[in-house]
Amino acid sequence: MTRYIIDCDPGHDDAMAILYAAKHLDVVGLTTVAGNSSLENSTRNALAICTLAGLNLPVVPGLDRALIEPPLDGAYVHGATGIDGAELPAPSYDPLNRHAVDFIIETAKAAPGELSLIAIGPLSNVALALRLEPRLAGWLKSIAIMGGSTTSGNRTPYAEFNIVCDPEAAAIVFDAGVPLSMVGLNVTRQAGIAERHIARLRQDGGRVSSVMADLLAFYLAKMQERYGTPTAAMHDPCAVIPLVKPGLITFQPLPVHIELGEGPLRGMTACDSRPMRRDHDQPGASRPANCDVAVAVDGEACVDAVIDTILGYDRP
Amino acid sequence: MIPLLIDCDPGHDDSMAILYAAKHFELRGLTTVFGNSIVENTTRNALKICELAELDIPVAGGMGAPLVGSFAPSMIHGASGLDGADLPEPKRRPVDMHAVAMIIEQAKKAEGELVLAAIGPLTNVAVALRTEPRLARWLKCITIMGGSLDIGNASPYAEANILKDPEAAAAVFSSDAEIYLAGLNFTRQAILERSHADMLRQVSGAVPETVAGMLDFYLSRNEARYGKPISPMHDPSAFVPFVRPDLVEHKPFHIQVELASPLLRGMTVADQRNVTRRPDEPEPPRANVKAGIRMDGPAATRHVIETIASYGRG
Repeated sequence: MTRYIIDCDPGHDDAMAILYAAKHLDVVGLTTVAGNSSLENSTRNALAICTLAGLNLPVVPGLDRALIEPPLDGAYVHGATGIDGAELPAPSYDPLNRHAVDFIIETAKAAPGELSLIAIGPLSNVALALRLEPRLAGWLKSIAIMGGSTTSGNRTPYAEFNIVCDPEAAAIVFDAGVPLSMVGLNVTRQAGIAERHIARLRQDGGRVSSVMADLLAFYLAKMQERYGTPTAAMHDPCAVIPLVKPGLITFQPLPVHIELGEGPLRGMTACDSRPMRRDHDQPGASRPANCDVAVAVDGEACVDAVIDTILGYDRP
Repeated sequence: MIPLLIDCDPGHDDSMAILYAAKHFELRGLTTVFGNSIVENTTRNALKICELAELDIPVAGGMGAPLVGSFAPSMIHGASGLDGADLPEPKRRPVDMHAVAMIIEQAKKAEGELVLAAIGPLTNVAVALRTEPRLARWLKCITIMGGSLDIGNASPYAEANILKDPEAAAAVFSSDAEIYLAGLNFTRQAILERSHADMLRQVSGAVPETVAGMLDFYLSRNEARYGKPISPMHDPSAFVPFVRPDLVEHKPFHIQVELASPLLRGMTVADQRNVTRRPDEPEPPRANVKAGIRMDGPAATRHVIETIASYGRG
């Protein structure tokens, strides 16, 4: 059976992804990274989410900054703590006294071919693990990434936050040769969290659901402020959903290049989605596909699946 | 009628665009540029089109290579740039004037009324705008077929006209001219297919018959290359908005041309997010382009084909 490590920077949508994954998959640990907020916040929030849901998953802190890029601040969406909006319990346990990069390598080494990564933050930990242990690429079964976009970005006109936080790390991961899937903004924007989902959590749920409702109400308000839409994109759980319910998101193998140049396109996931890519006599002819890229989604079913799962935490 | 000068590289869709525009604008001339073929061919093709349609307008040859780098012709339009149209060698000659000079002269003469349509690489237009700094003010506007707000054709994100001279495109987009853009995201909404050639064949006359033949050739080339005998109506889409504004929707964007990235060179970069600015974000740059975002494609193609057919009824 496949086991999973979730590499994350919780984060409101990370919290949803963790709760969703832990109910359906064999999650053996959470590794944390600076992204939506500082590494300290990511680690504390991971522990608090696990404490809230009674998960007791090992939490292992990783990189506190990107390879090159100075830290970006996600506080405009996630607040000063990285997960504002609810009273989360104080963590009932400590992070492991190890480094995320080592934890990923050792877990993979212990059972080659059985570990998959779910990477829903900047790819700094994953990239360094791949570089530190060249055999890791062969040991990993797959990496499921929330990041990038085949259309417009969020942090910048073309770049998505997780990728633009550490573009060089993303370039390492996309060139690693590990089977990759990428669920980007073009799909996650279609999985919209609305007021009615929050109302369902409040009406039908207990303690876990009501804390999640508070978190999502904060997130929804922030997203509405920034994007002017009635719903908030449910980013991170969309990387997990295909591992649980394969029919809800459609993938297409595409060549994906991470743009590293300085300028407005830095951090763009440049996907060659032209219908016919062969026989081009101009620069930029395509390389082979290196990633399964999410191109279509049943957004409503995705959000329902995650809300249903969260409600399940409050049932005996 | 609106006075018009067309800077072009005919080219099958250029020819359709010229023939379409000649019926709806006061067409004052053609300037040619390398692009679909070498400039010698695009100039000869422009003269052939004028002869075919009896357009008594000056044709001026222009730049044969991009500002930076070199040019290798694509084969989608055939060796002549206009294969499939059995047109005789033209008796007309190009005027003894460079395209750049003609653009400037025509704009000055029209006193703010001239629309400059650029449906090839933007080399002539860029050189004209830089040579005569007042040109941007003299022109009513520039309408460009080029670029894309989504995926490209010549490379993953770049469209062929822009990719053939990205520096020229950057110079044009950074001028003060008013610019309308028909990018691939727009032209792909208007699809030419075999039934359009059949419509033209039902009308007698040299122009509709010739365009039907060109269309057959072009659609076959597209079929061989892309698998289907269809093609976006690229170049005419730069003119339709002035004739049938009811069929199109435009939106202002700041567009900048990517020059550095090897993979993304020639991409027309535009902020398409709809976001409220964060406090730490800079003010967005002023919109410099009105880009086509929606077109009633079936109505637009029908309208263009009907215009071409009208050459045969007179």
